[in-house]
Parts: sequence; structure tokens; C-alpha cells
Amino acid sequence: MNIKEDGLSHAFFFCQQLDSAQDLNRRSLEKELGLRIRFFPLPCSGRIESLHLLRALENGADKVYIITCPEGACRHQEGNTRAKKRAAFAQRLISEFGLEPDRLEFVEAPALPSPSIDRVARDLLAREIRIAPLPWAGKEKKVPKEISRKERRDDYRGEKAPRRDQREHRLL
Amino acid sequence: MNPESRLKRVLFAGHFAVTAECGPPKGADPDLVRKKGNLLKGYVDSVNVTDNQTGVVRLCSLAACALLREEGLDPVLQMVTRDRNRIALQSDVLGASALGIRNLLCLSGDHQSFGNQADAKGVFDLDSIQFLRAVREMRDGRHILGGEELSRGPDLFIGAAENPFADPFFYRVLRLEKKTAAGAEFIQTQCTYNLPKFKEWMARVRERGLEKKVFILGGVTPLKSARMAEYMAKNVAGMDIPGEVLGRMKAVSPKQQRAEGLKICVETIQALRQIQGVRGVHIMAIEWEEAVPELVKEAGLWPRPEA
Amino acid sequence: MITAERKPLAEIKESIASYRKLLILGCGSCVAECASGGEKETALLASQLRMDARREGRSLEAKEMTLDRQCVYQFIDQLAAVIGDYDAVLSLGCGAGVQAVAEVFPRTHVIPALNTTFLGQTKQPGLWLENCRGCGDCKLDSFADICPVTRCSKGLFNGPCGGSKNEKCEVDPDTPCAWQLIVTRLEERGKLSNLEKVHPPARWSKKEGRGPRKIAREDQRT
Repeated sequence: MNIKEDGLSHAFFFCQQLDSAQDLNRRSLEKELGLRIRFFPLPCSGRIESLHLLRALENGADKVYIITCPEGACRHQEGNTRAKKRAAFAQRLISEFGLEPDRLEFVEAPALPSPSIDRVARDLLAREIRIAPLPWAGKEKKVPKEISRKERRDDYRGEKAPRRDQREHRLL
Repeated sequence: MNPESRLKRVLFAGHFAVTAECGPPKGADPDLVRKKGNLLKGYVDSVNVTDNQTGVVRLCSLAACALLREEGLDPVLQMVTRDRNRIALQSDVLGASALGIRNLLCLSGDHQSFGNQADAKGVFDLDSIQFLRAVREMRDGRHILGGEELSRGPDLFIGAAENPFADPFFYRVLRLEKKTAAGAEFIQTQCTYNLPKFKEWMARVRERGLEKKVFILGGVTPLKSARMAEYMAKNVAGMDIPGEVLGRMKAVSPKQQRAEGLKICVETIQALRQIQGVRGVHIMAIEWEEAVPELVKEAGLWPRPEA
Repeated sequence: MITAERKPLAEIKESIASYRKLLILGCGSCVAECASGGEKETALLASQLRMDARREGRSLEAKEMTLDRQCVYQFIDQLAAVIGDYDAVLSLGCGAGVQAVAEVFPRTHVIPALNTTFLGQTKQPGLWLENCRGCGDCKLDSFADICPVTRCSKGLFNGPCGGSKNEKCEVDPDTPCAWQLIVTRLEERGKLSNLEKVHPPARWSKKEGRGPRKIAREDQRT
């Protein structure tokens, strides 16, 4: 299966502990797939919020992976357990309006040390399990523009975080 | 002619009283009530009529008691506080007395969620003890809650229920004492299968001298089948059915289970008669009122004394 | 706090069906504490509704905003600047908040997204339990600080009833019997004698005596 040809967009939320050289290791896939792949390293998978996952879908990811450290190996004890619950909650939320819950996939790394994030991501992408493109994908004429590496923000909240004084309608 | 409470007379005369329960129909036919009443006539001193038991809508207890009164029976009106506020409760008490009903059992009632009207509002404006006290004041003080005088007070023998098998066990006796102090003159207990526990409760009751202050009638219910026994043990709040009783019911073939259930019931009644302080038995043969005459006879309690 | 739960999504969808520009309005107080209407939940709901609209080929612009409190004019007034941009407001406030917002902007359709439930405490993260019914006549002191009006399913003041078994209420095996709790705590404190007297009937007039209640304090008025 040629991951380049299926045309789908993927987002990977993952714990930095899995690959300390992730910044380097992910460049190969980023080059290959451009904006069709987004990596969001987290200081701990427990920092993931259901909202980040929904925003990733809103921003065009057809499939979102949440990759955590193995059970019992979380540096912060319960981060991976928390991530699992929030992923499950997000799955419930998207199935409420008819999106397939397996667009969000929770993956527990089998062991530490883990293979590089590049290896992990390629293995996941290479599986035969297919997901359909987002149901609104064809309905919108959205053409993602290429952005430079510098402009790419590792902002796992799924948006360029606005400055505090620029936020719409927020109260100070 | 002013009717009197036969139950009261029998108890004060020192006889071992027998009361039974009559469940009203889920319909408006008065003959169904009269029929049940006549089944029991002569075998019991008084007949309790339940009040929308387990939150299931039935012909109201007050009307059923009035019908039984007409048939010459001595009814015990059961009133729960679940369905009526203090205005209606006090009003119904006056009405009951006016209709010649002479016994009242004051209860809180099963929660409405158990019945066939689960969306109904549970009133519980008063609890059973507040209600007991209010009725006592209506009768002896001739006034309602708040003090306003009545033109005539109700003439009622007042009772309450107690469950020796519910928790917290240690507190059950204090609660009985509280009910007695609030105005209860007789008590009917939840049905008994666990005799050792019942005896323990009675021992504590006697420790506080309560058996001299209130007439205690032990409750019994004949088991129709092993399945019924299991259902009750599992689903009915406050029920205590020991393993040996379940075992006896299961040990016999389905055809013989009724007879075994009746046998256990008779044994229980005979055991209750032996316990010091127990002044009567209350037979709750739910949907099996026909079994009551046989039970009363087998337990050696028939014919009923003159009173 | 006041607790609430989000309505089923289908119900919310139906009530906003005819609108194209929505303000999704959260509240930072009680409903944030019980994770039903705070900033986070507001953002989640907005995201769901936007994606749902896209899925159905509908146009929907849903913007989020959270007020510190939706029940106080001082905060509601902050909406004045922006409310004209929207067809309707989907409020994640409690019933009090929804009504207050609607009062300030009577010509705006303010739609409730939550079902307001009870007054309660956070027992643990993710678990809220009802413990006050606002009867207006607090008698916690008589019952070892365990409210019988709220926590006894029958509201008994001279409990327990005959259905208390294994320290649980007959209505729900997960619910502790309030009277078991009261009796135990009084016994531990050596105050079981408090229960000897018959506790008189409640004064429901304090709750229902004159219709919807109000508190008026002259010393507080500007």
C-alpha cells in the first residue's frame, strides 16, 4: 500500500518519552507527505484533551492516532491511563454525530525503548485497515497551502494559539 | 350503633389475636373486596387493607375498608404518607372514623419508584412517626396539626409497622420505642422467616419493657413456591429469608411446594405464640387469602374467641 | 454547586436546526466545576456541532465564548457588543443563567444546552452527588450534618424506614441509607439520644409557601 496515494490526512499525538529524537526522526515522513501528516509531541500523553482530538479532525485529519507509553511505564504514573479515557470520551463525542469512532485510534507502545516515531508511524500507516476520508472532504474546496518548517507549530491544541489580547470574545 | 374495634377488645382481653391482610383489586369492582372479606370472616379478628402497596394503583384502602365494614368485618385501614400531604391525611382520618373504621396503621410506604406510576411525585409530607403523633393528637387532644380544634375527634385504635430484619439492627428497638412514645398502640411486623433473629429482637424489646406498652403482632407470609421465596429474598426490601427455609422449599417437588410453604407458616405461627411478648399474628397471604382459614385452623387458632 | 448535564446531542441539534450563526455560551462557575458547561465543554460542543454541520452539508458558524457567570448582569452585559452578530445563542449555563441571559436580550433566541439537575458536591473528579434541596429551613444540625430531606429517598425525619438493608436504600442499592449514616454518626459522637424525640414535620411553606422565592436585602442595594 502506498501511503502517498491514499490521499488521507493523518495526525499523530504521541508522548515524547517514546522517542527523544522525534524532532529529527519525523522529518522524513513530513517531507514525503507534506501537510497530510501532522505530528504533535506531548510532554506526557496525559496532557492530551478530548478537545485536541476533535480539533484535529476539524482541521482536516481523516485519522488521528494517540500513542502512549506502555501500561505502567508512564513517567507521570497515570498519564497514559488518562489519555486512554480521554480518547474514549472523544470517540463517544464523535459517534454522537455519526463519525466513525475508529477515526481516533488509541495505541499503546508495546515496550520501552520504543522504535523511532518514524518507524511507529510508518508501521501504523502501512496497515491494511482503511478509513474513509472525512465525510465533508469532497464537499469543500479546501486546498491546504504548503507551509515552511518554521511556520509549522507543534501546537497540539490544533490551532495556532492566539495571543491573549487577540483572542476573540474572550474576557480578561 | 357505634362500631368498636374488635382487634382492641381481643387484645385487651388477653387473647392471642389474629389479623390478616386483604389486597384490594386493580379495578373498581366492590364485589371483589366483599368476596375476599367473606373468605376471612370468622377466621380472623380484623382485616388489614393495604394502601396502594409498592406504589401500584389499586382500589383505595379507605373505600375497601368501608365495604368490609358493611360486610360486618373489623377493618384495619393502612395509610401511607407517600401519596398524600398532611391536609389529605388528616382529612382521611376523619373520614375513616366517620365511616365506622376503628383501626389505623400508620406507614411511610414503599417508594413510588417500585410501582406502576414511577413518574409520580412522592409526597412524604409527614413520615410515619409524625403521622402517628398527629393521629393520636386528633383522637386524644381533639385537634389537628397546628392546634385547631376538631368538632369531634376520630375514634381509632392506632398502630404502626416495624421491621425487625432491617438495618441498622441495633436501632430497630429504639425506633419501636419511639413509635410507642409517639402514639402506637399495636405493632404489626414484617413477615418472619428468620425466627432466631425475631427472637433476638423480642429479647431486646423485653429488655426495655416495650412489650408491656404496645401490642406486638408477628407477621407471617406463606410461601407459594421456591421461586417466590427466591424472588422475595432478592427483590423485596427488608426481607430476610434464611437459607434453610429456601432449602426446604427447594427440596420438595414443585407440586408439593404450596403444602410445604403452608407447613412452614404454621410452624412459624406456633413458634410466635411461644415467644413472650408476642400478642398476636398478622397473616399476609398476598393474593392467597384463601389459604388463611386453613392456616388459622392448623395453627390451632380457630374458632376465634368471643369478645 | 449547581450541577447540570448536557442534553442529548439530537435534542440540541433539533433546537438549533434553523440557525446559521450561533454563539455557544459557556459559564465559568458551577457548570464548569461539574464539567458540563465550562469553557472546555463549550469548545467541545461547538466543535461537534461544526463538524456535524459539515457532514450534513449545512452551513454553520459557531463561535465560543465563556462568561464568568451567566446569572449576573455584570457579566451578561459583556455580550451586548457581540450578540448582534448571531442568529441565536446556545447557552451552556444552568437554568438560572439561561433565563438571565434571555432577560437581558429578550429578542434573542437563547437555547438551553443543559438539563440543570441538583445542588451538590464533588465527591471525586467525575462524581457529583446531590446533598441539598434548598428547603429554606436548614436542620442539618439535628441530623449530624447529613440532610434527610435530600439524602433520604423518603425525606423522613424520624427514619429509617423498613427498607434499609445492608446500609443501602431500598430504592437504589448504590445509594447509602441516609438514616444508617445519621444513626451511625450520632452514635459515634455519643449523641444517639438526639433521636429520641419525635422530630416535627417540615415547614414546606419555606420552600413552596409563596411561589418562586426571593431574597431582598436593602443593605445590598446600590
